[in-house]
Amino acid sequence: MAYRAAVVGVGMTPATSPRKQEFSTAELCRQAVHAALAHCGADPRTLDAVVIGNIDGFEGTVLGGKSLTRQLGIGPDLPVVVLNTGGTTGGNLMQVAARMVRAGTHRRVLCVGGPTFFGAEDLQAAINTNSPMIIEQPLGMGAYHMGAFAASAYQARFGVDATDLAAVAVADHAKALKNPNAHLRYEVTVDDVLAARPLSSPLTQAMVCPVSTSAVAMIVGDPDEHDLATAPALIRAMGTSSDPYLGGGKGDFSQMQNLATLARRVYALADVRAPRREFDVVEVFAPYVHMQPMQLEALQLAEPGEGVALIRSGDRVLAVNPSGGPKCTNAGVAGELAPYAYAALQVMGDAPPELQVEGVRKALAHGTGGTFFQFENLAVFEALDSVSSGSTS
Amino acid sequence: MTSVSTQPVHWDLRYDIHLGTTWSRFMDGLRDRRILANKCPECARVFVPPQAYCESCYVATDEWLELPPEGILEVYTVAWLGFRGGPTPPYAIGGIRLDGASTLLMHWLVGPDFSDPASIGSRLPFGSRVRAVWAAERTGQILDIAHFQPVAD
Repeated sequence: MAYRAAVVGVGMTPATSPRKQEFSTAELCRQAVHAALAHCGADPRTLDAVVIGNIDGFEGTVLGGKSLTRQLGIGPDLPVVVLNTGGTTGGNLMQVAARMVRAGTHRRVLCVGGPTFFGAEDLQAAINTNSPMIIEQPLGMGAYHMGAFAASAYQARFGVDATDLAAVAVADHAKALKNPNAHLRYEVTVDDVLAARPLSSPLTQAMVCPVSTSAVAMIVGDPDEHDLATAPALIRAMGTSSDPYLGGGKGDFSQMQNLATLARRVYALADVRAPRREFDVVEVFAPYVHMQPMQLEALQLAEPGEGVALIRSGDRVLAVNPSGGPKCTNAGVAGELAPYAYAALQVMGDAPPELQVEGVRKALAHGTGGTFFQFENLAVFEALDSVSSGSTS
Repeated sequence: MTSVSTQPVHWDLRYDIHLGTTWSRFMDGLRDRRILANKCPECARVFVPPQAYCESCYVATDEWLELPPEGILEVYTVAWLGFRGGPTPPYAIGGIRLDGASTLLMHWLVGPDFSDPASIGSRLPFGSRVRAVWAAERTGQILDIAHFQPVAD
């Protein structure tokens, strides 16, 4: 028999800069976990496993997933699955928890994502150590240098200019300003973005994400149990996909072929035939401005080269990254779990009121990571009464 | 008085990366000023750097060939801001499709003046032909190619 899995509870802490953060990773995680339990009214004793993200090697302040779990205040004897897939760790937490629930071996699984790499004094130097060793690491690339390849190629192919890229940042900031959990909560203008410090052509400082600190927790359970206070967000379909390891193995930086392939696969599983019309909300992981239009295009939500136009339009039919996205809040593992958390909250009707889109039936969540963003993950959430039972994929 | 919220620590770890036979052969080639690639017997894609298996066809890629040190610069970025221990900016890193290759080889670009952000596109357009410049001393590593430079028309 096939079981269904749904997001039944979400908790997150407000985000802030590393400099202003007074709480440790363990303290932040504990706050997020108890917020998730309170959200759905679940007793910690009803949890039967924890899936926790742990990117070891990125910095000295990371606590092992197992020792961190002991500090969450949710009692003894909980099996712990420690997940470490580098930058995509947060995006894979729910994928693992949902498979545990669907398998029927677990009933209610807690996902925990804390902040990562906020201690590095020079983050780009730290990121350079995880770029492909031997072949590409010696060339001196940090995160945004690697990101800039796609920005350059996309610009050249579709005639996207710096003003278009800046418009994405302007839109993200306007949304994050309304999100009580966002980190960069101020408006910017196109001129501000263009005048910001150049990082790696064509990207300026205002076009890339900050380093944030926060924690996100999520409870995945059986949607057919009715002891909780929330309306579950059914995980209708999900999947992951990988490009070659080397940046140069991608072959074409001007479009996101790997994500397009994954989207076709996940849409088929979820019976999504007209994504542009069917989704009410999409939350994509776009820490750099060029990524958001490219992702929307790969996800069939905009025509090739038309992603910026969709973002500029402030489309009322499809809400794109109402949270403000990782461009304004990126807390490592927590940051990668956030699109899943926000998309699920939208379906549950429990997003922060300032962000909640009215009448959400179907939402898409996306994550990506890897030095050249080789790794993609995706999930489709649906309100339970909009799907017939047993049709999950 | 503000409370004590952080304490500095420092890591300095040294590692040896084990190349495996495929990348060893590639590095041996660079030492001899030769760029070695290999080819998938199923899809005929040519990989540089070479790889032991084709991840699309799931077969071993055991046919070797030498590529010319010249190709098309498909994309590049100019790093204006670097990082501790990295190269001194500005420096340019490109994705180069060597003639006959299916993949891009990432490397440094030297030659044009990259100091003015407004003019970089016109100084070195995407699609330019570039050629590898060999390092005088070669030890079997990617920087045995010192950098690529534009081919004079």
